[in-house]
Amino acid sequence: MKVLLVAECREGKVLGNIYELMGFAEETKSEAVLFLVGNENDLPHFSGKLYLGDVETCKEYNPDTHKQLLLQVFEKEQPDLIVFSHSSYGWDLAPRIANSLKLCQISEVVDLDDDGYIVPACNAKLRRRVKNATEKVVLTLQAGAFNAIEPGEETPETIAIETKQQSQVVFEGYEEAEQGGVDLTKANVIVSAGRGIGKPENVSMIKELAESLGGEYGASRPVVDSEWVEHNRQVGTTGQSVTPKLYVACGISGAIQHLAGMKKSEFIVAINTDKDAPIGEVADVLVVADLKQFVPALTEKIKAVI
Amino acid sequence: MNFELTEEQSLIRNMVREFAEEEVAPTAAIRDEEERFDRALMFDKLGELGLTGIVFPEEYGGAGADYISYAIAVEELSRVCASTGVTLSAHHSLCANPIFLFGTEEQKQHYLTPLATGEKMGAFGLTEPSAGSDAGGTKTTAVEDGDEWILNGTKIFITNGGEAETYVVLARTDKNAEKHHGISAFIIEKGSPGFSFGKKEKKMGIRSSPTMELVFENCRIPKSNMLGEEGHGFKVAMKTLDGGRIGIAAQALGIAQGAFDIAVDYAKERQQFNMAIARFQGVQFQLADMATQIEASRLLIYSAAYKASNGISYSNASAMAKLMASETAMKVTTQAVQILGGYGYTRDFPVERMMRDAKITEIYEGTSEIQRIVIGAGLTR
Amino acid sequence: MKILVCIKQVPDMESKFKIDSDSKWYETADLVWRMNEYDEYGVEQAVQLKEQQGDSDVTVLCIGSDRVKETMKKALAMGCDRGVHVVDDAIFAKSPQEIASIIADFSKDKSFDCIFTGMQSQDRGSGQVGVLLAEMLNLPSVTTIVDFSYDDGITKVKRELEGGIKALVSVKGPAVFTCQLGLNTPRYPTLPNIMKAKKKELLSVPVADLLHVESNQETAEIFFPEKKSGGLILEGEPADLADELLKILKEKTTVLS
Repeated sequence: MKVLLVAECREGKVLGNIYELMGFAEETKSEAVLFLVGNENDLPHFSGKLYLGDVETCKEYNPDTHKQLLLQVFEKEQPDLIVFSHSSYGWDLAPRIANSLKLCQISEVVDLDDDGYIVPACNAKLRRRVKNATEKVVLTLQAGAFNAIEPGEETPETIAIETKQQSQVVFEGYEEAEQGGVDLTKANVIVSAGRGIGKPENVSMIKELAESLGGEYGASRPVVDSEWVEHNRQVGTTGQSVTPKLYVACGISGAIQHLAGMKKSEFIVAINTDKDAPIGEVADVLVVADLKQFVPALTEKIKAVI
Repeated sequence: MNFELTEEQSLIRNMVREFAEEEVAPTAAIRDEEERFDRALMFDKLGELGLTGIVFPEEYGGAGADYISYAIAVEELSRVCASTGVTLSAHHSLCANPIFLFGTEEQKQHYLTPLATGEKMGAFGLTEPSAGSDAGGTKTTAVEDGDEWILNGTKIFITNGGEAETYVVLARTDKNAEKHHGISAFIIEKGSPGFSFGKKEKKMGIRSSPTMELVFENCRIPKSNMLGEEGHGFKVAMKTLDGGRIGIAAQALGIAQGAFDIAVDYAKERQQFNMAIARFQGVQFQLADMATQIEASRLLIYSAAYKASNGISYSNASAMAKLMASETAMKVTTQAVQILGGYGYTRDFPVERMMRDAKITEIYEGTSEIQRIVIGAGLTR
Repeated sequence: MKILVCIKQVPDMESKFKIDSDSKWYETADLVWRMNEYDEYGVEQAVQLKEQQGDSDVTVLCIGSDRVKETMKKALAMGCDRGVHVVDDAIFAKSPQEIASIIADFSKDKSFDCIFTGMQSQDRGSGQVGVLLAEMLNLPSVTTIVDFSYDDGITKVKRELEGGIKALVSVKGPAVFTCQLGLNTPRYPTLPNIMKAKKKELLSVPVADLLHVESNQETAEIFFPEKKSGGLILEGEPADLADELLKILKEKTTVLS
């Protein structure tokens, strides 16, 4: 099987999600060809063909232009699958390609087997197995669903591509992420402090772990009542109900008031010295440790990999 | 006969529920704790949504909807905050409605329209220190003086008191007439000379709803502000309370439904002896009784509301609905606290507030005993 | 200005889902239905645009069984002017490309100046229909918008990208926009507007009149993901524990990628 993997470029730099697509190619034992509208000075590590559109002329988001380039590559390579990340770039471009080529597109694939592709449904409460009715297929892969390969040192064989196609949509630049006001309900990662942090000085440790994960910090009721953390960060029945991708409960025993506000999180890690703490009932992983030692150690390791 | 809500009624329920859950619920506990009325949230917003004049015709700024829609709105607000529910009920049923029913065209234009659009808030002054259930015992007096009425007396336990701009007040205009006959109704505006507010009550429940004393000391109002005919105030009061009972019944229903929903969720989650307590038959029996009583209350309320909208006499129906719903609210909230156990008794969960809120529904706008008198009298007339 | 907003009715995601007897979809009985959350932002933006432009007309389109009319009434009560109900009792089995082609067929001769859709549906979540529709109509499209402004034929929007960064984009002339949560604050339909919605036009079109393509995919099965395997308990030296946890986070979550 031959797969065309679509890499992305942001502010001149190739994004790391291409290595997940390569992981997908490896898992499906496919021959891979890469596509990128990017910059010849920053290419993904890969030992194979990479079709490269110039980002200076094509811009980073210019769907009609990128579509034409990708169609050219499809024409040449005739891959069985065109694979995108399910990202703001992927979900924007993939349907354009699927429509031009009259192919079936399957979005946000988390797994595949002989019977089809698995995708989430109903806010990930259910899974759907989808069968394609066209021979060739356009896929977008859920971030993190396929293990990224460890990038090596290789450089790809680049083949320059170009088009005169102008885009009807004009990309005018980026706006940096806003700082300020917290809305825990929108956070992907929440690291919360409970009574077990011992003293207000330790809140900074929780903040740092949250920052290293690109998330927000929160707290349980007793910590807020002691005014160690402001009320708008309280999680639980008298605070906010949250459902982040990752919830890390530090020194939180798991009073039912707190559990009610966070147990629907996708993945829950609890750090507690008490193995039998009720938080263990909802946690996917319970780390039995003194958080004053463990949290800084974890933060350091996370900083090293991100 | 059809037991399904119409499309509009169902849209209204969804809209009010969404608003109640997203905007009213988050501050319900803290407002209760601080005994704080939040006018912008608990009244002005209702006006923007068109809920302050649900049943009144569009020509008076209303929405032209029916009483079932009104009951649904009060129910959904009360499901998360009984104080907000009664704010609407007192305004709509006890002040705007008597003006709609008994007001002259001029009075309706001048007073009903701003009430219905939510520009002004209304309240009703009937109860006095020595006249509660016995409205005939009204001691506040109104004496004619040229182009004006002069009122003297005190009204107590007035929901929306102090906050409202428009008051419908009962006063005795004829000292010599038989008990019920010498009473008349008046429309009094906040700011009228001689009209002031006394103490604010510290209550067991509905603590975010202001309850105040109204004080009239040689309060002068224009003669044209008499509502209905002179001497017919008792009739105005009774008709007003018929409608009010639908509002309070709906408030009680909302409280019961809110507590029940929390109890069911909790029972499904709470593990004891290695299983959810909802799996215990003892808990299931309690939930079954709660649900049955709630549904029975709802049907009585909607049936009374249907009659009210269709010109069918509904005094008895609304008394039955209020009696049933308020007693159900008390029972259901008490059971909900029991199901939540120690947690239910804390202020971390709303059921203790709901239990405190429920009690008043058995008392105001006619105690349960008065409802039984009304129903009994209707049966044996 | 002629505006189209496409909405879908979905179950409340807090519902307890059950699998249908043939395992092709969830059971639709006993669910609470509501407007797809993303579409609410689309309706709000359409109505805001109409209010800004004046002399405009918003059509709301929804595909589904008779049950979807209630959701359409909400859109009408929020301020849309007319409804088009494409009657289809088997919408759950339609692929994104079929859905898009139904809407495209309806829209092709209507010359809409602006079309809004949600960026995805909450139940199916393919996120394709808006873009496919635009491609079929030969219109430009922008996905995942979180900010919208229109002035004299030029639309400026912000696209939400990963990590909170936004891309600033402009489009000239008619276009399709797919709406992300937070684009605006969807209004509550007021009571008087709910009453007025009753009198607004709601046109029914059988799906067969608009659907002329074959499905390019099918749902073979719908099922529950495997249950959490019970909490894993890690004990040991803090540094080793951190390594272990990191490995688990890489495997089981997406937060480190």
